Amino acid sequence: MATGARLRITSEKLKDFTHLHVASAYSGHYGVTRPELLAEAAAANGSSAHAITDRNGLYGAVKHIGACLKLGIDPIVGVDLPVLDEESNVIARCVILAHGNDGGAGWRALCKVVSLAHRHGKRIQAVGIKRSELAKAIQSEEHQKAFCTVLLGPDSDLGRLVLTGRRAAAEANLAEWVNCLPQKGALAIEIVSHLTEPNSEWSVSQASRMLQLADANKVPTVLSNAVRYLSPDDALTADVLDAARNLEPLGYFQPQPNAQAWLKPTRLMESVALEITQNYQRSLELLKTTEALANRCRLDPPNDCGWGRPKTPEKSALGIDGNPFEVLWQRAHDAIDWRYPNAKPKRLLEVRHRLSQELITISKLGFATYFLTVADVAQMIRDMKIRTAARGSGAGSLVNYLLGISGVDPVEHELLFERFLSTERSTLPDIDIDVESARRHDIYRSIFRRYGSDRVTLLSMQSTYRGRGAVRDSGLALGLNDEEIDEIAKNVWRFSAGSFRNALAVKPELAKMAEAIETDRKMNLLVDITERLDRLPRHISMHPCGVILGDTSLLGLTPVEPSGLGLPMSQFDKDDMDPMGMLKLDVLGVRMQSTMAYAVQEISRVSGKQLELDSIPLDDPATYQQICTTNTLGIFQIESPGQRELTGKHQPTEFNDLTIQISLFRPGPMKGNMIAPYLDGRHGFAKPDLIHKDLEPILRETFGVVIFHEQVLRILNVMTGCSLAKADEMRRQLENPKSKPKIELFFREATKAKGYPQEIINRVWGILEGFGSFGFCKAHGAAFAMPTYQSAWLKTHYPTEFLAGILTHDPGMYPRRLLMAEARRLGVIVLPLDVNQSTAEYRVEPIDQINTESAKIGIRMSLAEVQGMSEVEVQRIIAEQPFDSLVDFYRRSKPSRRTLERLALVGALDSLTGGANTRGDVVARVRQLNSLKNRPAHDPNQPMLDFEFLETLPSGNPEMSAEDRVAAEMKILQMDVTEHLLEKFRPMLDDMGVVCASELAGLRSKTEVLVAGVRIATQTPPMKSGKRVVFVSLDDGTGCSDSTFFDEAQKRCSHILFNTRLLIIAGKTRRTGVNGVSLMAENAWDLQELWQQWLKANRGASQMANTPIAIEA
Amino acid sequence: MTRVDEKIAVSVNQGGEPIGFRWRNQSYLVNAKPVRWFARREWWVEAARAQRGIGAGVLELEMWRLQASCVERQKPLAQYELIHSFDLSDKPVSASPEVSEGWRLVRVYE
Repeated sequence: MATGARLRITSEKLKDFTHLHVASAYSGHYGVTRPELLAEAAAANGSSAHAITDRNGLYGAVKHIGACLKLGIDPIVGVDLPVLDEESNVIARCVILAHGNDGGAGWRALCKVVSLAHRHGKRIQAVGIKRSELAKAIQSEEHQKAFCTVLLGPDSDLGRLVLTGRRAAAEANLAEWVNCLPQKGALAIEIVSHLTEPNSEWSVSQASRMLQLADANKVPTVLSNAVRYLSPDDALTADVLDAARNLEPLGYFQPQPNAQAWLKPTRLMESVALEITQNYQRSLELLKTTEALANRCRLDPPNDCGWGRPKTPEKSALGIDGNPFEVLWQRAHDAIDWRYPNAKPKRLLEVRHRLSQELITISKLGFATYFLTVADVAQMIRDMKIRTAARGSGAGSLVNYLLGISGVDPVEHELLFERFLSTERSTLPDIDIDVESARRHDIYRSIFRRYGSDRVTLLSMQSTYRGRGAVRDSGLALGLNDEEIDEIAKNVWRFSAGSFRNALAVKPELAKMAEAIETDRKMNLLVDITERLDRLPRHISMHPCGVILGDTSLLGLTPVEPSGLGLPMSQFDKDDMDPMGMLKLDVLGVRMQSTMAYAVQEISRVSGKQLELDSIPLDDPATYQQICTTNTLGIFQIESPGQRELTGKHQPTEFNDLTIQISLFRPGPMKGNMIAPYLDGRHGFAKPDLIHKDLEPILRETFGVVIFHEQVLRILNVMTGCSLAKADEMRRQLENPKSKPKIELFFREATKAKGYPQEIINRVWGILEGFGSFGFCKAHGAAFAMPTYQSAWLKTHYPTEFLAGILTHDPGMYPRRLLMAEARRLGVIVLPLDVNQSTAEYRVEPIDQINTESAKIGIRMSLAEVQGMSEVEVQRIIAEQPFDSLVDFYRRSKPSRRTLERLALVGALDSLTGGANTRGDVVARVRQLNSLKNRPAHDPNQPMLDFEFLETLPSGNPEMSAEDRVAAEMKILQMDVTEHLLEKFRPMLDDMGVVCASELAGLRSKTEVLVAGVRIATQTPPMKSGKRVVFVSLDDGTGCSDSTFFDEAQKRCSHILFNTRLLIIAGKTRRTGVNGVSLMAENAWDLQELWQQWLKANRGASQMANTPIAIEA
Repeated sequence: MTRVDEKIAVSVNQGGEPIGFRWRNQSYLVNAKPVRWFARREWWVEAARAQRGIGAGVLELEMWRLQASCVERQKPLAQYELIHSFDLSDKPVSASPEVSEGWRLVRVYE
């Protein structure tokens, strides 16, 4: 009988089924499939509409809508939320679907519901909305209307009551829901069966009882499959996500009942309907009511969600009257005198002409308000006395320069506006503003204050599973212990989780694990499920720099939730901004800007000199000389090992060189193999090939190598006669293999028409085709080159203040101890920690007359460096300074025992003893104090009898050795202050003939050497050949050595390649430029291991018997 | 309830529902609408692999509860619980084409 009915349904060919309850991968730790894939599958199933209902938010909604529009089906959006009773207990998880085609009322209500559900805090457990609040938000009593439909399904109090068979209680419960949601269309019963064992949750029996109950009470019903993955196979991934969500291994919690929660095709949903209803007519009815609700929820994105319509703050919010474009025109023109005070008439003419062109484009696109908004924010930041700089293609705009958004002159540096904005594209451009990182949150708060919290929200981002995170959560799911997981995770080095098994076969450091999976079933499973997790969204957090600025409709268009900062953030990410027409401003905290601001402030504080860093000349020879030595540590953008090597080869001598160098050291230009030909041209090893006289002005600066997007634009412009705007469109299309043939055809015809010889056309096309997509935006390079130059200038002329800034704001890629080594190398005086002098920052201090060396200032170390010392303790010391004795310090600053001892060990209390005692005495005294059972209260009226016995310090304790000091410093400050870490091993290093990093530049190429040091960087950059190359940089106190490990060398020392801290490397020198030397590594060893062996070998030797090292051993 | 774990030969109708089976040399006929559901397996305990595309068979089992009576002998009506799987390692128990493969009898409720 059942079979017959099934056949009849297929022959009648019912209308298509619409899934109304679908969690995407954006339901963190729950959904498995990306919204785009789900929408594609729905369309392929023949659906004309498709829903997304992520858990707790609209995280995947914009991607879903975008995918549906692309596929030509109607999007439906809802949310899956915990609904609470009045005492805030969860009574149900309900899907709430927004109605569509109602002028956005449904969408607004949905956004409001989601934001309400999140208002109680960041914790996931705090998410939920009371039923009464929900009812209020989605219904209008006045208009007797509902804006959303609530689906009451198996995961609810009703669903559970139905299972127990208590019909009367279930009836009463349903009546409550109906009573709460009385408006037509506000409530429907969601009928779901995952075909579980009869009489259990998600079973046919539960579903059919819910159906009967709904029918008896005349509540509409809809069928869904409560989907959480695309295909049955994905259920395994869902199991792992459940474990990650529960923070428990599989087997320790109730898992999903089976693998039925997939996006079933219409045919299977029809048979589920029939199985539940056991009645053909009723099953048809159920499918019909499902489609009726689907129809009601079909969204019209432009009208319902404001899709694609740019939204900027109202004029009143920006404080402008009249036509925004006129205001922009006036402001830009007024600024010409400010930006070009001494310009010659020819330059002024050029500036005016270009400004007009830019303004015309902005006017055509209707973006005047957008520019005024960004300018307003930039001005606000400057008024707060915070350093700013533009980054990205925005630096190519003269309007940005004139409005003070950018600080790079695009006319001077030949940057193109069209790369940034053109009439060929209508999306809002990105203007990114770099600010002092330490002040970024102040800026956010000011933006909220200035524009009002109804117009502003922060941007969020979804972090996704990568190698280590995926391994960790997979390990947890399988119940591996922490050590096992750590061991594996630490070797998961820069490859995506999706290629784990592949990586096992080729990466030497994974060889041990590859062997283990042969025999260990769990390891084998670990690899499989790690690969499954790859790239799934993991959790949402505040975007590091994005702020959304809109008009007062903003909070009706995006749901918000609290960020870690307390300010609200949108549930949409940066990719959602453009489709939603939202204006995103990137206010990026750059620690280098904080460093420079700090250095400038210290210069002014100590010397009274007011420095205008933004007006220093860009052609200071001393600065370039300093850069050319390759001691670029701490300089913005060019301090990495690779950039240091390139600096040695390149030897930049002017600002444009910095722009070029920064642009060259990018994945694109590196993959495009642009560096070598450029350097050959620059150093005269090869004659630059400028191809054609028309291209000479374009290619001369880079010796015939096409590096910049701007050059591609100009080449297309000159050779085909197309506009620069059109040229930029073509440049973008060059990256797409599909549209390339079209561009090629145009290029060949247009250049031929202009009379270029065939040979030139072929060559230029070859370059465009090969290099076009690898290039870099010059405006971006130039914007970066500015802080690069400024930081180099500060390092050259104010090394003490600059290093104080870096140490305080830690801007670089290296640990502080390396900066300390750099200070020693530069002869900058580092003053030890001293509780009477140190603060929470590295302050510049004038040095008294005792020290007659050339430098008159030094850097006082910061209390913030003492590990385990609380913020409160630091603040109390600063507030109570100065102290006249150790006891005084003990009484007034009230340090914890641990802090007190740590301060003593690193010498911060030395100054309290008057200089007559050793560090050993101080430590002894501190231990006495710490052994007191009760800390005597500080009360000026009470004579401090307890202390009298301590007024004289114990004496005769030995001075701490340099080695002990360094050991204490490393432990407590994580820095070697007294001397370099490597000094301890000096006798062995001398014995072995290890070479200093600073000596390498003086050696011949191919000299076999040993270098030693502390690992400061390990990199595996992309290589053209696809083979992995590992770069390891070591610091030995005289500078940095950079070693390259190819295949063979990697195999020889795979066990220490990525993790060992102190290394000795054997290799051959390879000269790469005037000041560039790197090492081709042959082998490497753990320095500590060699040290133990060396000590053993030398223990008997009599000449060593008296050294402290031998004693320790 | 008796636990068993034996491969058996099952005949099914067009819709794939069992209509009869042979067990221990006896034939049984199903005489009520069979109930089917899907139960789960603890793949993290049993499975050797779980790679993408391995299929839901690692995770779930198709279960059937049949009310059947013995053809050859008078026996009280009983319920039989069967697992149906498409595991390729299962060897055919019968060469007959009408007989569907991959069935195991696991429980008998008498």
